[in-house]
Amino acid sequence: MKKPSLFAFTLVVTSSLASTLAAQSTESKGTLTILSSLPRTGSANAQTTTIVNGIKLALSEVNGQVDGWTIEYKDLDDASPQRGNWDPAVEAQNANSATKDATCVGYIGTFNSGAAKVAMPILNRAGIAMVSPANTYPGLTKPGKGEKNEPMVYRPTGTINYFRIVPTDDLQGVVAADWAKQLGVKKVFILNDRELYGKGIAEVFRDQSTSIGIEVVGYEGTDSKAANYRSLVTKLKAVSPDLVYFGGTTQTNAGQIAKDLRAGGYEGMYMVPDGCFEQAFIEAAGDSNLNGKTFITFGGLPPDQLTGTGAKFRDAYRLKYGSEMEAYAAYGYEAARVILQAIATAKTKDRAGVLAAVAATKDFDGVLGKWSFDSNGDTSSRVLSGQTVTDGKFAFVKVLGG
Amino acid sequence: MEPYEVFLQQLVTGLSNGMIIALIALGYTMVYGIIELINFAHGDVFMLGAFLALTLLGALGMEAWAPGWQLAGVVLMLVSSAAFCGSFNWSLDRLAYRPLRRASKLSLLVSAIGCSFICTNLGLFWGGAPMEVFAGGVAAAAPKDFPQLIPQYNLLGESAIRIVPADVAVLAVTLPLMIALVYLVKRTRLGRAMRAVAQDSTAAALMGIPVDRVIGTTFFIGGALGGFASVVYALYNNTIGFQMGYRAGMDAFTAAVLGGIGSLPGAVLGGLLIGCVRSMSDQYVELRWTNTIVFGILVLILIFRPSGLLGSTRREKV
Amino acid sequence: MRWRPGPIVCIVGIAAILPLVELVLPPAAHVSEAVRGVFLYAILALGLNIVTGYAGLLNLGIAAFMAIGAYGFAILTCEIYPFQVGFWPGILLTLPIGALAGFLLGAPTLRLRGDYLAIVTLGFGEIVQDVLKNLEVVTKGTQGINPVPAPAIGGTMWTADDEYKWYYLFLALLVVVIVAIRNLERSRLGRAWFSIREDELASRAMGIRVERIKMLAFSAAAALAAFAGGLSASVLSSTGEPSNYDFQVSILALCIVIVGGIGSIAGVLVGALVMIGLNSIVLVKATAALEALGIGGSANVLLSPNNWKYLIFGLALVLAVRLKPNGLVPPRIERRAT
Repeated sequence: MKKPSLFAFTLVVTSSLASTLAAQSTESKGTLTILSSLPRTGSANAQTTTIVNGIKLALSEVNGQVDGWTIEYKDLDDASPQRGNWDPAVEAQNANSATKDATCVGYIGTFNSGAAKVAMPILNRAGIAMVSPANTYPGLTKPGKGEKNEPMVYRPTGTINYFRIVPTDDLQGVVAADWAKQLGVKKVFILNDRELYGKGIAEVFRDQSTSIGIEVVGYEGTDSKAANYRSLVTKLKAVSPDLVYFGGTTQTNAGQIAKDLRAGGYEGMYMVPDGCFEQAFIEAAGDSNLNGKTFITFGGLPPDQLTGTGAKFRDAYRLKYGSEMEAYAAYGYEAARVILQAIATAKTKDRAGVLAAVAATKDFDGVLGKWSFDSNGDTSSRVLSGQTVTDGKFAFVKVLGG
Repeated sequence: MEPYEVFLQQLVTGLSNGMIIALIALGYTMVYGIIELINFAHGDVFMLGAFLALTLLGALGMEAWAPGWQLAGVVLMLVSSAAFCGSFNWSLDRLAYRPLRRASKLSLLVSAIGCSFICTNLGLFWGGAPMEVFAGGVAAAAPKDFPQLIPQYNLLGESAIRIVPADVAVLAVTLPLMIALVYLVKRTRLGRAMRAVAQDSTAAALMGIPVDRVIGTTFFIGGALGGFASVVYALYNNTIGFQMGYRAGMDAFTAAVLGGIGSLPGAVLGGLLIGCVRSMSDQYVELRWTNTIVFGILVLILIFRPSGLLGSTRREKV
Repeated sequence: MRWRPGPIVCIVGIAAILPLVELVLPPAAHVSEAVRGVFLYAILALGLNIVTGYAGLLNLGIAAFMAIGAYGFAILTCEIYPFQVGFWPGILLTLPIGALAGFLLGAPTLRLRGDYLAIVTLGFGEIVQDVLKNLEVVTKGTQGINPVPAPAIGGTMWTADDEYKWYYLFLALLVVVIVAIRNLERSRLGRAWFSIREDELASRAMGIRVERIKMLAFSAAAALAAFAGGLSASVLSSTGEPSNYDFQVSILALCIVIVGGIGSIAGVLVGALVMIGLNSIVLVKATAALEALGIGGSANVLLSPNNWKYLIFGLALVLAVRLKPNGLVPPRIERRAT
């Protein structure tokens, strides 16, 4: 490709110019841009706002400067108002605008794994490092976990440019099922929201449950726009499960399901994945419906268990935004810090340099623990945590996996 | 649970859900009957009514009231949401629909779609209100919990079939409203004027009926029904969100068409049918096919009864 | 009536030189990718215009046919399926696939009048989405199908970097569609469509086979929508997920037709430019500009420009029909006020 090499040349020229000038002044050596592409319009807005808060916090910590370079950040929306959700055409447009922006060295996104499928090949050709704070579909990185042409189909150049800091469905679903077993569950009724994320994790949960001897008494795909799920509750009560597992998010009505389970007289346990690990889930479900009998898995440690970097982040977040950090804020912050650190350590401050530095991320001391990127571009962190809800707050129960 | 108990339980759920759909569909069908507008904004006006109810609930601190007073609070919410949605719907007519009376029906439809988007956005803003009931407004787009003012214990005691006070409340609000509405349309002067305008607005105008005022009143009544429905919906489901108008509007539209557009008993029948088909399909088929089954049945019914279940088979004007 | 190409040729002409203008503009000012989206929606809306504009049948489920086209094209061409017919045969096959789907829906339901037909099309849209989501064995459910091949004119297969090739391909296909519709408009069939729109009873009396004529309009619209769906999947290299073709897309297409000028080709082109341009150019650039000024990202819901998009979009619709009830570019044939 011509543009980047031309750009690299320009960069070399400007940077050498800048370094000669740097002796006399503290002027910036140039601008590097980080883009994020997340659905900012519509129902996912609540989570993506916390992601962007996390990113902005990471930037403000370094005062928008790394190694003498000015870091610019643009918060792109991959949703469109008429869709109210992520729009593949807009996602492609965002990825292409990153390609065209010669200063762009990092792309934080996407939120939906479906959107990642659109953006990944485009950014791969441009050689831009892409760090996702939310995609969990295993096929994006792991051979053999998705379709037979995945993940190579997302890497037309053969190099890996896509990284994620969140544990994939195939990890979280497994530890969730193991945890259910430890909680003494004999019969489980599994629901999924028929979205890529929710369905993926629910399927893994189902397979793991079967293989460790939990009886799966029902498996249903829900309608996330339904007003209530009372008829579903009647149906599932008839097979008397001890646990209802919902693969889904706050947006796809995890809160309403919790409510209807209680209103319909179901008295067993309820378990959800990290898409529900946010205060909004408790608000939506009403704390009295969750207390004590709800279990949430999350791909990292919760705020109150954090030490070191994590604890610092938690306090800084509270100070800056006046509210407790959410899971997605941690993911956003981590993604931004990975790129910022890569810029700092990159030998050349261009796409190739930053990409190499991101790929080389090792023993990263982050909010989600100490981890590295493995050869697929996934986080090596296997630390997941399980929480419950007491008195309207998430309460840490134990570390899962590890 | 015995199989017959499961069936009866699903019937109760279906009827309660259906009643709410029917109430929204009535507002839909009234407006359709008079100016043949598929009022896309109806569901979103309904949504705003629910937000108003939650605001009132939070501002007055109703959760802490004694149960008797809470009942009074429910009445207050019903009245205020109805008045608000009625006025709002009336204003939409005044600002966005009335200027298009002479334009084609499709321009009117697009205006209604535009209003729907505007209302959705207002709902998003409203969800960001800095109040405790909106969780401080931090996550504007997140679904909001609507506190349980009507308890959910089983009225039938230890029976396997559950009928909760919320089911009764749905019926207690909806049924009188339906009766009042039928009375209004069939027996009052205003009702007669409405029917006249629906039949032929030019002739009605020639007869001295203030057509615009009658249409405006119809919008008010339709909106008010949506307002009542929003409070019932919120009390029954205990969650509201700025995008809830979409499904509510779609269900109501389907119900109105199924029953025969413009027919009040038809809208009620259509609503109940959709509610019951949904719960039966959830039970006996699979949740993921429920929408397909609802719309499949709709298509089948329309193939055999092209004007809906109770629609008039009035011949097209020549 | 003599064909006076006026507005259409102007629009196409401006579109054709846009990439040349962009050569001298900085990348931040480039809009051709968004304009390419306008071409796609224009093809979709031109299809809808046949059924709703010419034949007067309200269709609220056009996106379902787009989905059928996208998935049909993907299944015929994607490397994970056995067919792999290649781009050109695949994209041309979307036309009969769409037409067949239109026929299957239309055959039992076309005798329904007005809004009863509208709800059936709406319901069909919902059913198609459910089926695509639930029949995972065939459609991969919510995962979507990828990679969907691109054309390979001049050597290797195009990628997203070949943006101007895509641009001119879409423009060329749009022109082909316009010319075809332009000819249909003036054919016997076109006149029959106008006639049943204006007065079904009278047309029947004149010996027009109303059901057949409606059927053709329905199938033609479905075929074009499917074609647009196939193109969209190809340029994105993915079908996306079934909910990318939901009711909102149908509504958007309808708004394009009506805001632009129902029954008018030039109107539909302008409508697509205004509605899609507003969404993917004006709102995007305005948000970026405001963000650059430091507005946005605050916890206050009112201060984030993204939160105003619905409102602006809705207001644009209301104002457009208020100020131009017959559309921005109404058809030249005077319609009877209904």
